[in-house]
Amino acid sequence: MFAIFKRDLRAFYTTPIGYAFSGVVILIMNLCFYYMNVETSSSDVKRIFYWLLLGLAFLAPILTMRLLSEEKKTKTDQLLYTVPLRITDIVLGKYLAALCVFLISLVGTFMIPVILSMFSVAEYWAILGNYVAIVFAASAFIAIGLFVSSTSENQLVSALVSWAILVGLWLVDTLVANVEIRFIRVIVDWVSVFARYESFTYGLFDLSDILYYFSITAVFLFLTVRMLDKRRYA
Amino acid sequence: MIEVENLVKHYGDKKAVNDISFTIRDGELVGFLGPNGAGKSTTMNVITGYLSATSGSARINGIDILEDPMEAKRHIGYLPEQPPLYMDMSVNEYLDFICDLKKVDRNRRSHIDDICEQAGITGVYRRMIKNLSKGYKQRVGLAQALIGDPEVLILDEPTVGLDPIQIVEIRNVIRDLGRQRTVILSSHILPEVQTICRRVLVINEGKIIADDSPQNLSKYVEMNHRMQIRVAAPQSKAEQILREIPEMGEVVFEGVMEEDTSDFMICARDNADIRRLLFNGCAKAGCPILMMNPLSASLEDIFIKLTEKSETNEKEA
Repeated sequence: MFAIFKRDLRAFYTTPIGYAFSGVVILIMNLCFYYMNVETSSSDVKRIFYWLLLGLAFLAPILTMRLLSEEKKTKTDQLLYTVPLRITDIVLGKYLAALCVFLISLVGTFMIPVILSMFSVAEYWAILGNYVAIVFAASAFIAIGLFVSSTSENQLVSALVSWAILVGLWLVDTLVANVEIRFIRVIVDWVSVFARYESFTYGLFDLSDILYYFSITAVFLFLTVRMLDKRRYA
Repeated sequence: MIEVENLVKHYGDKKAVNDISFTIRDGELVGFLGPNGAGKSTTMNVITGYLSATSGSARINGIDILEDPMEAKRHIGYLPEQPPLYMDMSVNEYLDFICDLKKVDRNRRSHIDDICEQAGITGVYRRMIKNLSKGYKQRVGLAQALIGDPEVLILDEPTVGLDPIQIVEIRNVIRDLGRQRTVILSSHILPEVQTICRRVLVINEGKIIADDSPQNLSKYVEMNHRMQIRVAAPQSKAEQILREIPEMGEVVFEGVMEEDTSDFMICARDNADIRRLLFNGCAKAGCPILMMNPLSASLEDIFIKLTEKSETNEKEA
Protein backbone atom coordinates (compact mmCIF):
# COMPACT_ATOMS: atom_id res chain seq x y z
CA MET A 1 0.00 0.00 0.00
CA PHE A 2 2.78 2.38 0.91
CA ALA A 3 4.46 1.81 -2.48
CA ILE A 4 1.30 2.88 -4.31
CA PHE A 5 0.80 5.83 -1.98
CA LYS A 6 4.35 7.01 -2.55
CA ARG A 7 4.19 6.67 -6.31
CA ASP A 8 0.87 8.42 -6.72
CA LEU A 9 1.74 11.24 -4.38
CA ARG A 10 4.91 11.76 -6.38
CA ALA A 11 2.97 11.63 -9.63
CA PHE A 12 0.72 14.44 -8.39
CA TYR A 13 3.73 16.70 -8.06
CA THR A 14 5.62 15.63 -11.19
CA THR A 15 2.56 16.67 -13.19
CA PRO A 16 0.92 20.09 -12.81
CA ILE A 17 -2.21 18.58 -11.21
CA GLY A 18 -0.95 18.66 -7.64
CA TYR A 19 0.34 22.23 -7.88
CA ALA A 20 -2.78 23.45 -9.66
CA PHE A 21 -5.02 21.83 -7.06
CA SER A 22 -3.08 23.20 -4.10
CA GLY A 23 -2.90 26.60 -5.77
CA VAL A 24 -6.64 26.85 -6.33
CA VAL A 25 -7.47 25.64 -2.80
CA ILE A 26 -5.17 28.25 -1.27
CA LEU A 27 -6.48 30.92 -3.64
CA ILE A 28 -10.13 30.23 -2.77
CA MET A 29 -9.43 30.22 0.93
CA ASN A 30 -7.39 33.38 0.99
CA LEU A 31 -9.65 35.34 -1.35
CA CYS A 32 -12.68 34.37 0.70
CA PHE A 33 -10.79 35.22 3.85
CA TYR A 34 -9.96 38.64 2.51
CA TYR A 35 -13.48 39.51 1.38
CA MET A 36 -15.44 37.85 4.15
CA ASN A 37 -13.17 38.47 7.12
CA VAL A 38 -10.61 41.14 6.51
CA GLU A 39 -12.90 43.52 4.62
CA THR A 40 -15.80 43.10 7.02
CA SER A 41 -13.67 42.77 10.16
CA SER A 42 -15.33 39.49 11.00
CA SER A 43 -13.71 36.53 12.71
CA ASP A 44 -16.31 34.07 11.52
CA VAL A 45 -14.60 31.42 9.37
CA LYS A 46 -17.73 29.37 8.67
CA ARG A 47 -18.46 30.92 5.33
CA ILE A 48 -14.97 30.65 3.89
CA PHE A 49 -14.93 26.96 4.67
CA TYR A 50 -18.33 26.57 3.07
CA TRP A 51 -16.96 28.16 -0.08
CA LEU A 52 -14.03 25.78 0.03
CA LEU A 53 -16.46 22.90 0.30
CA LEU A 54 -18.25 24.11 -2.83
CA GLY A 55 -14.91 24.55 -4.53
CA LEU A 56 -14.00 20.99 -3.59
CA ALA A 57 -17.04 19.65 -5.42
CA PHE A 58 -15.31 20.97 -8.54
CA LEU A 59 -11.72 20.32 -7.56
CA ALA A 60 -11.84 16.83 -6.07
CA PRO A 61 -12.67 15.22 -9.45
CA ILE A 62 -9.53 16.77 -10.93
CA LEU A 63 -7.55 15.10 -8.22
CA THR A 64 -9.15 11.69 -8.65
CA MET A 65 -9.84 11.51 -12.39
CA ARG A 66 -6.39 10.18 -13.24
CA LEU A 67 -5.91 7.72 -10.42
CA LEU A 68 -7.40 4.54 -11.84
CA SER A 69 -8.45 5.59 -15.36
CA GLU A 70 -4.87 6.28 -16.34
CA GLU A 71 -3.64 2.92 -15.07
CA LYS A 72 -6.22 1.19 -17.18
CA LYS A 73 -5.45 3.25 -20.26
CA THR A 74 -1.67 2.81 -20.16
CA LYS A 75 -2.10 -0.84 -19.12
CA THR A 76 0.03 -0.29 -16.06
CA ASP A 77 -2.84 -1.91 -14.17
CA GLN A 78 -1.50 -5.16 -15.59
CA LEU A 79 1.54 -4.65 -13.42
CA LEU A 80 -0.39 -3.80 -10.27
CA TYR A 81 -2.69 -6.80 -10.56
CA THR A 82 0.09 -9.31 -11.24
CA VAL A 83 2.46 -8.40 -8.40
CA PRO A 84 1.77 -9.72 -4.90
CA LEU A 85 -0.47 -6.83 -3.90
CA ARG A 86 -4.06 -6.81 -2.67
CA ILE A 87 -6.59 -4.71 -4.54
CA THR A 88 -7.51 -3.11 -1.20
CA ASP A 89 -3.91 -1.91 -0.92
CA ILE A 90 -4.03 -0.38 -4.39
CA VAL A 91 -7.27 1.47 -3.64
CA LEU A 92 -6.18 2.65 -0.18
CA GLY A 93 -2.80 3.78 -1.46
CA LYS A 94 -4.39 5.89 -4.17
CA TYR A 95 -7.07 7.27 -1.88
CA LEU A 96 -4.52 8.29 0.74
CA ALA A 97 -2.29 9.91 -1.91
CA ALA A 98 -5.15 12.13 -3.09
CA LEU A 99 -6.17 12.94 0.48
CA CYS A 100 -2.58 13.79 1.25
CA VAL A 101 -2.46 16.33 -1.59
CA PHE A 102 -5.50 17.97 -0.03
CA LEU A 103 -3.89 18.01 3.41
CA ILE A 104 -0.75 19.57 1.95
CA SER A 105 -2.94 22.26 0.37
CA LEU A 106 -4.64 22.92 3.69
CA VAL A 107 -1.29 23.68 5.28
CA GLY A 108 -1.14 26.65 2.91
CA THR A 109 -4.21 28.11 4.61
CA PHE A 110 -2.83 28.01 8.14
CA MET A 111 -2.01 31.69 7.99
CA ILE A 112 -5.75 32.37 8.32
CA PRO A 113 -6.03 31.21 11.95
CA VAL A 114 -2.68 32.85 12.66
CA ILE A 115 -3.90 36.22 11.38
CA LEU A 116 -7.23 35.79 13.18
CA SER A 117 -5.53 35.07 16.49
CA MET A 118 -3.34 38.12 16.07
CA PHE A 119 -6.07 40.61 15.26
CA SER A 120 -9.21 39.25 16.88
CA VAL A 121 -10.54 36.91 19.48
CA ALA A 122 -10.33 33.74 17.48
CA GLU A 123 -12.82 30.96 18.16
CA TYR A 124 -10.25 28.19 18.18
CA TRP A 125 -12.76 25.38 18.53
CA ALA A 126 -14.83 26.62 15.63
CA ILE A 127 -11.75 26.91 13.45
CA LEU A 128 -10.58 23.44 14.41
CA GLY A 129 -14.10 22.12 13.79
CA ASN A 130 -14.06 23.62 10.33
CA TYR A 131 -10.73 22.07 9.49
CA VAL A 132 -11.84 18.66 10.70
CA ALA A 133 -15.10 19.00 8.80
CA ILE A 134 -13.47 19.93 5.52
CA VAL A 135 -11.06 17.00 5.81
CA PHE A 136 -13.91 14.57 6.36
CA ALA A 137 -15.92 16.05 3.49
CA ALA A 138 -12.89 15.97 1.18
CA SER A 139 -12.32 12.36 2.14
CA ALA A 140 -15.85 11.49 1.06
CA PHE A 141 -15.52 13.45 -2.20
CA ILE A 142 -12.22 11.75 -3.03
CA ALA A 143 -13.70 8.31 -2.36
CA ILE A 144 -16.60 9.09 -4.70
CA GLY A 145 -14.19 10.38 -7.36
CA LEU A 146 -11.95 7.35 -7.00
CA PHE A 147 -14.89 5.06 -7.53
CA VAL A 148 -15.90 6.91 -10.68
CA SER A 149 -12.30 6.73 -11.88
CA SER A 150 -12.42 2.95 -11.56
CA THR A 151 -15.35 2.73 -13.96
CA SER A 152 -13.81 4.42 -16.97
CA GLU A 153 -10.48 4.48 -18.74
CA ASN A 154 -11.07 8.00 -19.92
CA GLN A 155 -9.90 10.71 -17.52
CA LEU A 156 -12.27 13.30 -18.90
CA VAL A 157 -15.27 11.03 -18.48
CA SER A 158 -14.16 10.28 -14.91
CA ALA A 159 -13.88 13.96 -14.12
CA LEU A 160 -17.21 14.89 -15.70
CA VAL A 161 -19.15 12.11 -14.02
CA SER A 162 -17.64 12.97 -10.61
CA TRP A 163 -18.54 16.60 -11.17
CA ALA A 164 -22.07 15.66 -12.11
CA ILE A 165 -22.44 13.60 -8.93
CA LEU A 166 -20.93 16.16 -6.52
CA VAL A 167 -22.55 19.21 -8.05
CA GLY A 168 -25.78 17.25 -8.35
CA LEU A 169 -25.68 16.51 -4.62
CA TRP A 170 -25.25 20.17 -3.92
CA LEU A 171 -28.10 21.16 -6.27
CA VAL A 172 -30.49 18.70 -4.65
CA ASP A 173 -29.59 20.30 -1.38
CA THR A 174 -30.22 23.81 -2.57
CA LEU A 175 -33.45 22.98 -4.35
CA VAL A 176 -34.92 20.95 -1.55
CA ALA A 177 -34.90 23.98 0.73
CA ASN A 178 -37.86 25.19 -1.32
CA VAL A 179 -39.80 21.97 -1.10
CA GLU A 180 -42.84 22.28 1.12
CA ILE A 181 -43.15 18.63 2.04
CA ARG A 182 -41.41 18.26 5.37
CA PHE A 183 -40.85 14.54 4.98
CA ILE A 184 -38.68 14.95 1.87
CA ARG A 185 -36.76 17.77 3.45
CA VAL A 186 -35.90 15.74 6.50
CA ILE A 187 -34.74 12.81 4.41
CA VAL A 188 -32.59 14.91 2.09
CA ASP A 189 -31.14 16.82 5.01
CA TRP A 190 -30.22 13.57 6.61
CA VAL A 191 -28.42 12.07 3.61
CA SER A 192 -27.03 15.33 2.27
CA VAL A 193 -23.28 15.72 2.23
CA PHE A 194 -23.65 19.49 2.44
CA ALA A 195 -26.34 19.84 5.12
CA ARG A 196 -24.36 17.57 7.41
CA TYR A 197 -21.41 19.78 6.92
CA GLU A 198 -23.09 22.84 8.39
CA SER A 199 -23.50 21.48 11.89
CA PHE A 200 -19.82 20.62 11.83
CA THR A 201 -18.83 24.17 11.06
CA TYR A 202 -20.31 25.53 14.28
CA GLY A 203 -17.63 23.58 16.09
CA LEU A 204 -20.07 20.92 17.17
CA PHE A 205 -18.50 17.48 17.04
CA ASP A 206 -21.46 15.23 16.51
CA LEU A 207 -20.41 11.59 16.35
CA SER A 208 -23.17 10.81 13.86
CA ASP A 209 -21.78 13.42 11.45
CA ILE A 210 -18.29 11.98 11.64
CA LEU A 211 -19.68 8.50 11.20
CA TYR A 212 -21.70 9.69 8.24
CA TYR A 213 -18.69 10.99 6.28
CA PHE A 214 -16.65 8.04 7.36
CA SER A 215 -19.35 5.69 6.04
CA ILE A 216 -19.55 7.42 2.67
CA THR A 217 -15.78 7.10 2.33
CA ALA A 218 -15.82 3.46 3.36
CA VAL A 219 -18.73 2.55 1.09
CA PHE A 220 -17.18 4.11 -1.98
CA LEU A 221 -13.76 2.65 -1.31
CA PHE A 222 -15.39 -0.74 -0.92
CA LEU A 223 -17.29 -0.26 -4.19
CA THR A 224 -14.02 0.69 -5.90
CA VAL A 225 -12.39 -2.53 -4.70
CA ARG A 226 -15.36 -4.54 -5.95
CA MET A 227 -15.29 -2.71 -9.27
CA LEU A 228 -11.60 -3.50 -9.80
CA ASP A 229 -12.08 -7.08 -8.75
CA LYS A 230 -14.99 -7.49 -11.15
CA ARG A 231 -12.69 -6.54 -14.05
CA ARG A 232 -11.01 -9.95 -13.85
CA TYR A 233 -14.22 -11.64 -14.89
CA ALA A 234 -14.89 -9.43 -17.89
CA MET B 1 6.63 -25.44 -12.64
CA ILE B 2 3.44 -24.32 -14.35
CA GLU B 3 0.41 -26.56 -14.51
CA VAL B 4 -2.61 -25.51 -16.51
CA GLU B 5 -5.68 -27.72 -16.48
CA ASN B 6 -8.72 -27.48 -18.71
CA LEU B 7 -8.49 -23.74 -18.89
CA VAL B 8 -11.49 -22.00 -20.44
CA LYS B 9 -11.96 -18.26 -20.78
CA HIS B 10 -14.96 -16.59 -22.35
CA TYR B 11 -15.26 -12.94 -23.27
CA GLY B 12 -18.99 -12.62 -23.48
CA ASP B 13 -19.95 -15.12 -26.17
CA LYS B 14 -16.47 -15.44 -27.57
CA LYS B 15 -14.34 -18.32 -26.40
CA ALA B 16 -10.85 -16.85 -26.21
CA VAL B 17 -9.34 -19.95 -24.61
CA ASN B 18 -11.07 -23.24 -25.11
CA ASP B 19 -10.01 -26.05 -22.82
CA ILE B 20 -6.23 -25.77 -22.72
CA SER B 21 -4.08 -28.08 -20.60
CA PHE B 22 -0.31 -28.27 -20.36
CA THR B 23 2.51 -28.65 -17.87
CA ILE B 24 5.81 -26.83 -18.00
CA ARG B 25 8.59 -28.31 -15.90
CA ASP B 26 11.19 -26.39 -13.96
CA GLY B 27 13.87 -24.87 -16.16
CA GLU B 28 12.00 -25.33 -19.42
CA LEU B 29 11.95 -22.57 -22.02
CA VAL B 30 8.68 -22.90 -23.86
CA GLY B 31 7.32 -20.89 -26.76
CA PHE B 32 3.66 -20.09 -27.33
CA LEU B 33 3.17 -19.82 -31.04
CA GLY B 34 0.00 -18.62 -32.65
CA PRO B 35 -1.50 -15.93 -34.86
CA ASN B 36 -2.91 -12.76 -33.35
CA GLY B 37 -6.07 -13.43 -31.39
CA ALA B 38 -5.25 -17.11 -30.89
CA GLY B 39 -5.51 -16.88 -27.10
CA LYS B 40 -1.84 -16.56 -26.18
CA SER B 41 -2.14 -13.35 -24.22
CA THR B 42 -5.36 -14.47 -22.55
CA THR B 43 -3.71 -17.68 -21.38
CA MET B 44 -0.79 -15.69 -20.00
CA ASN B 45 -3.11 -13.23 -18.31
CA VAL B 46 -4.90 -16.07 -16.56
CA ILE B 47 -1.66 -17.73 -15.43
CA THR B 48 -0.43 -14.44 -13.96
CA GLY B 49 -3.71 -13.75 -12.20
CA TYR B 50 -4.64 -10.66 -14.22
CA LEU B 51 -7.78 -12.36 -15.47
CA SER B 52 -9.82 -15.12 -13.89
CA ALA B 53 -10.59 -18.23 -15.86
CA THR B 54 -14.19 -19.11 -16.68
CA SER B 55 -13.29 -22.64 -15.63
CA GLY B 56 -10.19 -24.74 -15.13
CA SER B 57 -7.13 -23.95 -13.07
CA ALA B 58 -3.58 -22.66 -13.25
CA ARG B 59 -0.92 -23.53 -10.68
CA ILE B 60 2.51 -21.98 -10.24
CA ASN B 61 4.91 -24.21 -8.32
CA GLY B 62 1.88 -26.08 -7.07
CA ILE B 63 0.08 -22.97 -5.82
CA ASP B 64 -3.29 -22.23 -7.37
CA ILE B 65 -3.42 -18.65 -8.68
CA LEU B 66 -7.03 -18.25 -7.57
CA GLU B 67 -6.75 -19.90 -4.18
CA ASP B 68 -3.61 -18.13 -3.04
CA PRO B 69 -2.91 -15.32 -5.51
CA MET B 70 -0.52 -13.45 -3.20
CA GLU B 71 1.80 -16.43 -2.83
CA ALA B 72 1.52 -17.58 -6.45
CA LYS B 73 2.29 -14.10 -7.80
CA ARG B 74 5.48 -14.01 -5.74
CA HIS B 75 6.91 -16.66 -8.08
CA ILE B 76 6.03 -14.90 -11.32
CA GLY B 77 7.70 -12.18 -13.33
CA TYR B 78 5.42 -10.93 -16.07
CA LEU B 79 6.12 -8.79 -19.10
CA PRO B 80 2.76 -8.04 -20.73
CA GLU B 81 2.39 -7.32 -24.43
CA GLN B 82 2.54 -3.60 -23.72
CA PRO B 83 5.25 -3.03 -21.09
CA PRO B 84 3.55 -1.52 -18.02
CA LEU B 85 5.68 1.59 -17.70
CA TYR B 86 4.96 4.88 -15.99
CA MET B 87 6.02 7.56 -18.41
CA ASP B 88 6.45 10.18 -15.69
CA MET B 89 9.20 8.24 -13.92
CA SER B 90 12.87 7.72 -14.64
CA VAL B 91 14.20 4.19 -15.04
CA ASN B 92 15.75 4.09 -11.57
CA GLU B 93 12.63 5.48 -9.88
CA TYR B 94 10.52 2.96 -11.73
CA LEU B 95 12.66 -0.03 -10.77
CA ASP B 96 12.73 1.23 -7.20
CA PHE B 97 8.94 1.37 -7.24
CA ILE B 98 8.80 -2.21 -8.56
CA CYS B 99 11.07 -3.25 -5.68
CA ASP B 100 8.61 -1.55 -3.30
CA LEU B 101 5.70 -3.41 -4.91
CA LYS B 102 7.43 -6.78 -4.81
CA LYS B 103 8.82 -6.05 -1.35
CA VAL B 104 12.45 -6.58 -2.30
CA ASP B 105 14.42 -5.14 0.60
CA ARG B 106 17.64 -7.06 0.86
CA ASN B 107 20.53 -5.71 -1.25
CA ARG B 108 18.13 -3.69 -3.33
CA ARG B 109 20.86 -1.55 -4.85
CA SER B 110 22.98 -4.46 -6.12
CA HIS B 111 19.89 -6.40 -7.20
CA ILE B 112 18.77 -3.51 -9.42
CA ASP B 113 22.31 -3.06 -10.75
CA ASP B 114 22.54 -6.74 -11.70
CA ILE B 115 19.23 -6.62 -13.51
CA CYS B 116 20.12 -3.44 -15.39
CA GLU B 117 23.31 -5.14 -16.49
CA GLN B 118 21.38 -8.19 -17.64
CA ALA B 119 18.73 -6.22 -19.52
CA GLY B 120 21.31 -3.81 -20.93
CA ILE B 121 19.80 -0.63 -19.54
CA THR B 122 22.65 0.56 -17.32
CA GLY B 123 23.32 3.38 -19.78
CA VAL B 124 19.79 4.81 -19.54
CA TYR B 125 19.45 4.31 -15.81
CA ARG B 126 18.74 7.95 -15.00
CA ARG B 127 16.66 8.84 -18.05
CA MET B 128 12.92 9.45 -18.10
CA ILE B 129 11.03 6.44 -19.43
CA LYS B 130 8.93 8.55 -21.79
CA ASN B 131 12.09 9.65 -23.62
CA LEU B 132 13.37 6.11 -24.24
CA SER B 133 13.15 4.35 -27.59
CA LYS B 134 10.76 1.47 -28.04
CA GLY B 135 13.59 -1.05 -27.69
CA TYR B 136 14.76 0.39 -24.39
CA LYS B 137 11.20 0.59 -23.09
CA GLN B 138 10.87 -3.11 -23.84
CA ARG B 139 14.07 -3.79 -21.91
CA VAL B 140 12.90 -1.77 -18.94
CA GLY B 141 9.73 -3.87 -19.05
CA LEU B 142 11.86 -6.99 -19.03
CA ALA B 143 13.94 -5.65 -16.12
CA GLN B 144 10.69 -5.06 -14.23
CA ALA B 145 9.75 -8.71 -14.68
CA LEU B 146 13.15 -9.83 -13.37
CA ILE B 147 12.95 -7.88 -10.12
CA GLY B 148 12.54 -10.12 -7.11
CA ASP B 149 14.21 -13.06 -8.90
CA PRO B 150 11.02 -14.91 -9.82
CA GLU B 151 11.43 -18.58 -10.75
CA VAL B 152 8.84 -18.30 -13.49
CA LEU B 153 9.06 -15.71 -16.25
CA ILE B 154 6.16 -15.02 -18.56
CA LEU B 155 6.97 -12.85 -21.54
CA ASP B 156 4.26 -11.79 -23.95
CA GLU B 157 5.70 -11.05 -27.40
CA PRO B 158 8.95 -9.67 -26.00
CA THR B 159 10.45 -8.82 -29.40
CA VAL B 160 7.51 -7.12 -31.04
CA GLY B 161 8.31 -3.69 -32.47
CA LEU B 162 12.07 -3.97 -32.05
CA ASP B 163 14.63 -3.51 -34.79
CA PRO B 164 16.58 -6.60 -35.98
CA ILE B 165 19.66 -5.91 -33.85
CA GLN B 166 17.57 -5.36 -30.74
CA ILE B 167 15.65 -8.57 -31.47
CA VAL B 168 18.87 -10.58 -31.52
CA GLU B 169 19.99 -8.96 -28.28
CA ILE B 170 16.72 -9.55 -26.47
CA ARG B 171 16.68 -13.16 -27.68
CA ASN B 172 20.13 -13.70 -26.22
CA VAL B 173 19.02 -12.20 -22.93
CA ILE B 174 16.01 -14.51 -22.86
CA ARG B 175 18.11 -17.54 -23.72
CA ASP B 176 20.43 -16.70 -20.82
CA LEU B 177 17.49 -16.29 -18.47
CA GLY B 178 16.12 -19.64 -19.59
CA ARG B 179 19.17 -21.38 -18.16
CA GLN B 180 18.09 -20.87 -14.57
CA ARG B 181 14.38 -20.23 -14.83
CA THR B 182 11.13 -21.52 -16.21
CA VAL B 183 10.23 -19.26 -19.10
CA ILE B 184 7.17 -18.98 -21.31
CA LEU B 185 7.35 -16.59 -24.20
CA SER B 186 4.78 -15.95 -26.85
CA SER B 187 5.32 -15.02 -30.44
CA HIS B 188 3.64 -15.13 -33.78
CA ILE B 189 6.95 -15.57 -35.59
CA LEU B 190 7.97 -19.18 -36.20
CA PRO B 191 11.75 -18.71 -36.59
CA GLU B 192 11.81 -16.79 -33.33
CA VAL B 193 10.53 -19.62 -31.17
CA GLN B 194 12.60 -22.04 -33.22
CA THR B 195 15.81 -20.26 -32.31
CA ILE B 196 15.09 -19.79 -28.62
CA CYS B 197 12.84 -22.56 -27.37
CA ARG B 198 13.26 -26.28 -26.98
CA ARG B 199 9.55 -26.84 -26.85
CA VAL B 200 6.75 -25.12 -28.73
CA LEU B 201 3.04 -25.02 -27.99
CA VAL B 202 1.09 -24.01 -31.06
CA ILE B 203 -2.18 -22.31 -30.20
CA ASN B 204 -4.94 -21.52 -32.62
CA GLU B 205 -8.48 -20.37 -31.91
CA GLY B 206 -8.08 -21.00 -28.21
CA LYS B 207 -6.81 -24.56 -28.55
CA ILE B 208 -3.41 -26.20 -28.44
CA ILE B 209 -2.97 -27.83 -31.82
CA ALA B 210 0.63 -28.96 -31.40
CA ASP B 211 3.03 -29.51 -28.53
CA ASP B 212 6.38 -30.43 -29.97
CA SER B 213 10.05 -29.64 -30.35
CA PRO B 214 10.93 -26.98 -32.93
CA GLN B 215 12.74 -29.67 -34.98
CA ASN B 216 9.59 -31.73 -35.36
CA LEU B 217 7.58 -28.65 -36.05
CA SER B 218 9.89 -27.55 -38.83
CA LYS B 219 9.27 -30.87 -40.57
CA TYR B 220 6.00 -29.31 -41.59
CA VAL B 221 8.00 -26.57 -43.20
CA GLU B 222 10.24 -28.91 -45.14
CA MET B 223 7.35 -31.02 -46.25
CA ASN B 224 6.28 -28.23 -48.44
CA HIS B 225 8.58 -28.03 -51.45
CA ARG B 226 7.68 -24.76 -53.01
CA MET B 227 10.15 -22.66 -54.90
CA GLN B 228 10.33 -19.43 -56.71
CA ILE B 229 12.56 -19.67 -59.79
CA ARG B 230 13.74 -17.43 -62.59
CA VAL B 231 14.60 -19.06 -65.89
CA ALA B 232 16.39 -17.37 -68.80
CA ALA B 233 13.73 -18.18 -71.40
CA PRO B 234 10.45 -16.72 -72.58
CA GLN B 235 7.33 -17.84 -70.74
CA SER B 236 6.04 -20.46 -73.20
CA LYS B 237 9.38 -22.18 -73.66
CA ALA B 238 10.23 -22.15 -69.98
CA GLU B 239 6.83 -23.48 -69.04
CA GLN B 240 7.25 -26.36 -71.48
CA ILE B 241 10.64 -27.28 -70.00
CA LEU B 242 9.30 -27.15 -66.45
CA ARG B 243 6.28 -29.29 -67.19
CA GLU B 244 8.46 -32.02 -68.70
CA ILE B 245 10.32 -32.49 -65.43
CA PRO B 246 9.12 -35.63 -63.67
CA GLU B 247 7.26 -35.17 -60.38
CA MET B 248 6.57 -31.51 -61.19
CA GLY B 249 3.29 -30.41 -59.68
CA GLU B 250 1.97 -26.91 -59.95
CA VAL B 251 3.64 -24.36 -62.24
CA VAL B 252 2.47 -20.78 -61.90
CA PHE B 253 3.82 -18.00 -64.07
CA GLU B 254 4.58 -14.94 -61.99
CA GLY B 255 5.67 -12.43 -64.60
CA VAL B 256 8.79 -11.01 -66.20
CA MET B 257 11.06 -9.24 -63.71
CA GLU B 258 14.16 -9.15 -65.90
CA GLU B 259 14.49 -8.91 -69.65
CA ASP B 260 14.31 -12.27 -71.50
CA THR B 261 13.52 -14.23 -68.37
CA SER B 262 10.38 -15.47 -66.71
CA ASP B 263 9.55 -16.11 -63.07
CA PHE B 264 7.58 -19.09 -61.81
CA MET B 265 6.29 -20.43 -58.58
CA ILE B 266 6.58 -24.21 -58.69
CA CYS B 267 5.52 -26.94 -56.38
CA ALA B 268 6.65 -30.58 -56.49
CA ARG B 269 4.23 -33.49 -56.37
CA ASP B 270 4.24 -35.52 -53.13
CA ASN B 271 6.79 -33.17 -51.62
CA ALA B 272 9.59 -34.64 -53.68
CA ASP B 273 12.94 -32.90 -53.84
CA ILE B 274 13.15 -31.88 -57.50
CA ARG B 275 16.04 -29.43 -57.35
CA ARG B 276 18.48 -31.67 -59.25
CA LEU B 277 15.91 -32.65 -61.84
CA LEU B 278 15.08 -29.01 -62.27
CA PHE B 279 18.70 -28.07 -62.77
CA ASN B 280 19.38 -30.88 -65.25
CA GLY B 281 16.18 -30.23 -67.19
CA CYS B 282 16.90 -26.56 -67.68
CA ALA B 283 20.58 -27.16 -68.43
CA LYS B 284 19.72 -29.68 -71.15
CA ALA B 285 17.41 -27.17 -72.82
CA GLY B 286 20.12 -24.49 -72.58
CA CYS B 287 18.07 -22.19 -70.37
CA PRO B 288 20.04 -21.39 -67.21
CA ILE B 289 18.30 -21.01 -63.92
CA LEU B 290 19.08 -17.54 -62.64
CA MET B 291 17.40 -17.83 -59.30
CA MET B 292 16.07 -20.61 -57.12
CA ASN B 293 14.45 -19.53 -53.93
CA PRO B 294 12.88 -22.17 -51.69
CA LEU B 295 9.74 -20.83 -50.09
CA SER B 296 9.39 -22.13 -46.57
CA ALA B 297 5.87 -22.70 -45.47
CA SER B 298 4.49 -19.67 -43.74
CA LEU B 299 3.07 -19.87 -40.28
CA GLU B 300 -0.37 -19.80 -41.86
CA ASP B 301 0.48 -22.89 -43.89
CA ILE B 302 1.58 -24.69 -40.76
CA PHE B 303 -1.56 -23.66 -38.97
CA ILE B 304 -3.70 -24.91 -41.81
CA LYS B 305 -1.81 -28.22 -41.78
CA LEU B 306 -1.96 -28.57 -38.02
CA THR B 307 -5.61 -27.63 -37.81
CA GLU B 308 -6.44 -30.09 -40.57
CA LYS B 309 -4.51 -32.72 -38.64
CA SER B 310 -6.22 -32.00 -35.35
CA GLU B 311 -9.61 -31.99 -37.05
CA THR B 312 -9.03 -35.38 -38.67
CA ASN B 313 -7.74 -36.70 -35.34
CA GLU B 314 -10.94 -35.54 -33.72
CA LYS B 315 -13.04 -37.20 -36.39
CA GLU B 316 -11.15 -40.46 -36.03
CA ALA B 317 -11.55 -40.32 -32.29
